[in-house]
Amino acid sequence: MTRRNDLATNEVDLVSVSVAGTVAHPGFPGLPAEPYRLAADGTPFLLPTYGGIVYNVSVGDRAFGWAADCIHPGVSIHQADDNQNRGLNVFACVGNRAKVMSGSAAGATGVVTGKSGRFSEQVIVHFPREVRTRMAVDDQVLVRSEGVGLSLVGHPEVALKGIAPGLLAALTVKEEEGHVAFGVVAQVPAHLAGAGLGLTSQGGSLHIQSTDRTLLAELGLDRLRLGDLVAFEDTDSRYNHGHLRGARAIGVVASTDGPRAGYGPGVAILMTAPAGQLGSFDAPDANLFELLKLED
Amino acid sequence: MSEELRWNFDDLVQMAVTGRVSQPTIRRGGYTPWPDGTGVMLPGMSGIVYNARVGDRAFGWAGDHVEPGVSIANADERADYALHYLTCIGNEAEVTTGLARGARGIVTGEHARLLVDFPPETLEEMTIGDTVQIESCGRGLRLENHPDIEFKKTSPALARALGLSVTDGRVSCPVAMELPARIMGSGAELNSEFVDQDLMSGDRALMADLGIDQMRLGDLIGIRDVDHRFGRSYRKGWTAVCLCIHGDSVMTGHGPGILTLITGPSDQLDFHIDPTANIAETLGIRGKP
Repeated sequence: MTRRNDLATNEVDLVSVSVAGTVAHPGFPGLPAEPYRLAADGTPFLLPTYGGIVYNVSVGDRAFGWAADCIHPGVSIHQADDNQNRGLNVFACVGNRAKVMSGSAAGATGVVTGKSGRFSEQVIVHFPREVRTRMAVDDQVLVRSEGVGLSLVGHPEVALKGIAPGLLAALTVKEEEGHVAFGVVAQVPAHLAGAGLGLTSQGGSLHIQSTDRTLLAELGLDRLRLGDLVAFEDTDSRYNHGHLRGARAIGVVASTDGPRAGYGPGVAILMTAPAGQLGSFDAPDANLFELLKLED
Repeated sequence: MSEELRWNFDDLVQMAVTGRVSQPTIRRGGYTPWPDGTGVMLPGMSGIVYNARVGDRAFGWAGDHVEPGVSIANADERADYALHYLTCIGNEAEVTTGLARGARGIVTGEHARLLVDFPPETLEEMTIGDTVQIESCGRGLRLENHPDIEFKKTSPALARALGLSVTDGRVSCPVAMELPARIMGSGAELNSEFVDQDLMSGDRALMADLGIDQMRLGDLIGIRDVDHRFGRSYRKGWTAVCLCIHGDSVMTGHGPGILTLITGPSDQLDFHIDPTANIAETLGIRGKP
């Protein structure tokens, strides 16, 4: 990983602790419910959705156009127990190292690249494609969690959320007195913030609404890739996600687009500030695949 | 010349569903954070609320998500979903057990529980666990000559009370105020047949600038550029007419609850501002309309 900034942090004070999950199995509601979900126009659809080992969708790939509903790239892990799953979802930070601890791929290492929120609540981990072919559902994956409690010494009003110190150091930054800006691929207007609003900002995700395809194309958001850094305008993600003029939230595209109303690519929020202390600037290459030097 | 409204009232099925008066609960830990993180502990959801009623203000209560009137739920999950999906706003309810047996009320909202208004003297006789039966009716409601406009949770009584008018083929509903799409928040993750979507009140200056902080429980609300048919999403050229069902919240991404009643393409569905568009008056809940 390349250090691209010299932001002062409290990294030396962070506690690094293990959190584990097992590779999640995709799920559908039981009978007699139909397997269909509804698209925003009411059309029933049956498509792959979150969970499981995904062989052919990876961080760095396009976020749009897949025949899928909010797919997690790579491998999704979770804990069966709600409280333990919460521990996993909150403490695992984007950029943390992960390691397969059981099964045929035991010993292989990966990187946390995202999280998902209400109704899925999984942690998304990148493993090289070859490793994925050796992994199995229920394999245990251990995350060496580090990042909760991280803060910017010179910018106390910027709240960091689930970002590993290593990823923070790899970001391109423009720093001034009382203001810090990060390079992002795109800015999302407040009216396209969707599912995730009002829900926890410690873990989980905030989705970019994609029902209005025309608007998405106008803004170029339909060209986003998995792993792209994006900024939500006028969004305060300190305690839940919500609307506040002047606030900003920056995160990483963690899951693909999907057809449901209120949904679209899920973004794992990494940082936020309420009143202009956090900015963003255009950086078309700000993608986790490069920033974290992921192995394909 | 206003076109006649042709409802399919005669085709709607009336069916009983029940719930019991709920007990308020508090999450372990208890504190709810304001946007700046300050934790507070406030009453709000569930139970019998004696002093916040449809027609009263939605903002300013020392409470969080205050549910006016009586909040009822069914302990059986499947029966509870039936209670949620079949009950419509404006349906009549009757207390079937306890000291208030025989007293009648009106459904005014659907949140995590169903919200039913009863007169203050009835509340004095009610207790946690009393059964309330609702004569549900309204699912499948439509305007025969406007098939692209979709109605949700609208009882025939509410349909009549909305005060819809039709001009040049476009249906217009009186609403107390308009909300911008960009402040619609928590609930975006749900289907739009289930409960509500909170407006996001965290930008307090914006609430004051737009007069949103004057909202009352029971107000009709208009929103442009949203499609509420199968979920609630931003979409130019679509419109929703909604109802304020619960009070404000301290939590980021939350605020008064806005429940979808009507949605359709904006060339067929419109709204106009009428400050008196509140179901406390139009449904005769607090005096004759």
